[in-house]
Amino acid sequence: MKIQIDKTYPMPCTADVAWEFLQNLEAVAGCMPGAKITERLDPARYKGTVTARVGPATMSFRGEVEMKDVDPSARSLRLLGKGTDSTGTSGAALSLTARIDATADGLCALSGASEMSMSGKAATFGGRMLYTVAEQILQQFAANFAARVGALAGQRAAAGNGAPAPASAVPAADASELNVLAIAWTILQNWLRRLFSRKVA
Amino acid sequence: MAASSDTLERDAKLQGVGSSRLRKEDARFIRGKGTYIDDIKLPGMLFGAIVRSPYAHARIKSIDKTKALAVPGVVAVLVADDLKPVKLHWMPTIGGDVQAVLADKKVCFQMQEVAMVIAADRYSAADGADLVEVDYEELPAIVDPHKAMAPGAPVIREDIADKDEVGHGKRTHPNHIFTWEAGDKDGTDAVFARAAVTVREEILNPRVHPCPLETCGCVASFDKVTGQLTVYITSQAPHLVRTVVAMLSGVPESKIRIISGDIGGGFGNKVPIYPGYVVAIVASIVTGVPIKWIESRIENISTTGFARDYHGIGELAADKDGRIKALRFSALADHGAFNSHVSATKLPAGLFSICTGSYDIPKAYCRVDAVYTNKAPGGVAYRCSLRVTEAVYLIERMIDVLAQKLGIDKAEIRRRNFVKADKFPYTTSLGWTLDSGNYHAALDKVLKAVDYEGLRREQAAKRAKGELMGIGVCTFTEIVGAGPTKVCDILGIGLFDSCDIRVNPTGSAIARLGTMSQGQGHATTYAQIIATELGLSSEEIQIEEGDTDKAPYGAGTWGSRSTPVGGAAAALAARKIRAKAHKIAAHLLEVGEGDLEWEVDRFKVKGNPAQAKTMKEIALAAHTSNLPAGMEQGLDGTEYYDPPNLTYPFGAYVCVVDIDRFTGETKVRRFYALDDCGTRINPMIIEGQIHGGLTEAFAVAFGQAVPFDENGNHLGNSLMDYFLPTAVETPRWETDHTLTPSPHHPIGAKGVAESPHVGGIPCFTNAVVDAFAHLGVTHMDMPHTAYRVWQQCKALGINKR
Repeated sequence: MKIQIDKTYPMPCTADVAWEFLQNLEAVAGCMPGAKITERLDPARYKGTVTARVGPATMSFRGEVEMKDVDPSARSLRLLGKGTDSTGTSGAALSLTARIDATADGLCALSGASEMSMSGKAATFGGRMLYTVAEQILQQFAANFAARVGALAGQRAAAGNGAPAPASAVPAADASELNVLAIAWTILQNWLRRLFSRKVA
Repeated sequence: MAASSDTLERDAKLQGVGSSRLRKEDARFIRGKGTYIDDIKLPGMLFGAIVRSPYAHARIKSIDKTKALAVPGVVAVLVADDLKPVKLHWMPTIGGDVQAVLADKKVCFQMQEVAMVIAADRYSAADGADLVEVDYEELPAIVDPHKAMAPGAPVIREDIADKDEVGHGKRTHPNHIFTWEAGDKDGTDAVFARAAVTVREEILNPRVHPCPLETCGCVASFDKVTGQLTVYITSQAPHLVRTVVAMLSGVPESKIRIISGDIGGGFGNKVPIYPGYVVAIVASIVTGVPIKWIESRIENISTTGFARDYHGIGELAADKDGRIKALRFSALADHGAFNSHVSATKLPAGLFSICTGSYDIPKAYCRVDAVYTNKAPGGVAYRCSLRVTEAVYLIERMIDVLAQKLGIDKAEIRRRNFVKADKFPYTTSLGWTLDSGNYHAALDKVLKAVDYEGLRREQAAKRAKGELMGIGVCTFTEIVGAGPTKVCDILGIGLFDSCDIRVNPTGSAIARLGTMSQGQGHATTYAQIIATELGLSSEEIQIEEGDTDKAPYGAGTWGSRSTPVGGAAAALAARKIRAKAHKIAAHLLEVGEGDLEWEVDRFKVKGNPAQAKTMKEIALAAHTSNLPAGMEQGLDGTEYYDPPNLTYPFGAYVCVVDIDRFTGETKVRRFYALDDCGTRINPMIIEGQIHGGLTEAFAVAFGQAVPFDENGNHLGNSLMDYFLPTAVETPRWETDHTLTPSPHHPIGAKGVAESPHVGGIPCFTNAVVDAFAHLGVTHMDMPHTAYRVWQQCKALGINKR
């Protein structure tokens, strides 16, 4: 089960701020709903977990993330992740190329090209939902990313004005679990909206 | 000589051959008193749960048992390295290959067995299995058999990479298993080269699974004091299991007892030896306590004996009148990661060469190439005598393709090609000798019953209105009852079967056979055969199977072999008893044996019927001193029957479907099935078998499939996806019969259980394709789900108002 998603999201900050944030893997992981970095193996490799909740059941993936091909001139990098769930019945792998592009309004946009593959139970039972779920996850990720780079830009501006910078430049993640039921609800809402807007149009 | 009413009455009382007596098994089944594998509970029994691979192809880097062993109740976690000291991490398969019992360094299909967690109860075993941490390195997977033999394709079986054969001839690629061919290739090619008409079609038999109600499982119990190993197991062939377990474990075969109790459906799924059984047996031998392993539904569909996955190419050459001059069939067979399916040493592609069907085809050639892929092993399950379904599907589809090409009616083209009734026994160009048949009579009876002409007129009228109606015709010939030991064996053991009958002093009897019922009603029908042969009431004849300590050696029940082989053994064992009874009767009546004749239940003196001895009287006498000089007491008979030939049941089916061109939904309006299985032992049970087989044919044709994605992930291994028809979806079946006895079977009977499945599947596809025939469609692959049929409508542009 393999899917590819290419998306671009506008960001409320300059390209330099977004690029700085993007290279902080622990911070970026914090934007991923349900994701957590648990161990730093070396500056480019980390161990982490992704926890997803489907009703009463919790699926917890553990694995490694690696940051590769960091290209400051193009403001792009590649993230490679793979893992298995704790019961050993599913596996997942992700390859994401993320790029920051300055936009005409002085702000920037985050572009992601990702390829995701699933195996085992997650593919067998979740496969038919994978594309929509992944799209939702990315949307949440982009929203979290935007909120944090927005905050970071604010801090940078304040620091420039002489105010003391907080010890942690990165606000804590709010959601520690990826709630699949909530995602399913959003998917349903979006689908209904599309359905009716098409009828109106 | 007209039978007197007295004789008829006595005959009816026996409830022998021809009687629709009620099934003796059902009394316990409908009361919930059956004993299935999970009903077996032994003191101190532990439970095994299997850890399986999420990847279709991966290297195992490490396995960490620590967390699993910490779960309360978990006793042990077994992996390949633990089985190595006893050399049981690999096992031989019944297909001539070897298979990993627990994955050794790499996994070759998704859900492959990696470890077994043994615990005090099934819940802690399952919890433990969740916590075994396996570190995998994923490898590229081969899912499409067409890519298996590509140059540079990933090597699936590194363990045999340097072997140039695995039991069936030379291999040409690391992922190649065997190439097998039959017939006259050059002669066939020559006929094709000069034929007036040729047709060719690529025809897939998708991977399906029989999905029996009861999944597989076993309880292994080794007694360390006596050295006795008892295994309760879901097996259709208990004796073969005993032999394989003896070969594997080193325990003497005499100390191994295999017991198959009630089995909740087999359909070929319960013939192979599975890793779960082997690990449970090893664990019991090591620990000395009973170990139970029961498969879940998902494990059953994903890992144990699937069926088909045959990618066929059919070609026929004919004259302009539709008379077939030559047949050329080939198939690419996807056997999965291990060649584990049942196959005779000399017949690696099973009985595929029966593919000339019911037709008189002068030249034929067929070839099968079997390959490894990263999918679960198996291939020959599902109500099918080793690739007969694939063979019959190809010929019954191809003859329709030829009919369409020539514009000849689909019933008429069959009539023109049938083997004529006076030509039997008829030897096909691929070497099988069809024992008996009367194909024209069977087809004509069905066409008349359904008013075939009227249906074709209705179809023409509907087509004129743009409606889709299809009429499927199928006139199949099956090959069942494996088989003559000179051609048929498993691991070198001939496929004979056996029956041991003991008659008690009071005239009741017990018979034990080497076959194994899984719902076929053997306890009912074998008793009928013996009742007729011995003149004893079937109500007093007890049948036992499945316990290797009691039953004589036999190859079990699969491939519709019970009646052709086991039934023949029962009849012949009974005849040995009757021959002894004949001598005793002559002694008691003080006449010569030649002065006696047999009548229903007694020997009577010719011309003086008042002077007679019934079998019951003889049974008592056999246990006294009043016997002919030199004769031993007792009235027993044992027969090991090696059939001289297989049997060839046949049938003529017609199916009528209506298809909604806007939704693709197909409604089976009518299905008429005429079967000829020779002598009919119990018509009610035959009808039940036909209903079941047709329902499973319907399931395969209209919904069942085990699909995979490009990474080798299963996309349909639970009942959420896998189609099991209920009474709601199942069409109404109309059954009929003709009676053409087998000339070589002691009572003229052939097998029947597979016929409706083998003949039903092409009949459904033929009906669906026929609905589109006027639009130029010659073939559609199964399953004919509404979506897939709708796609066909869409491609033709007929799905819009």
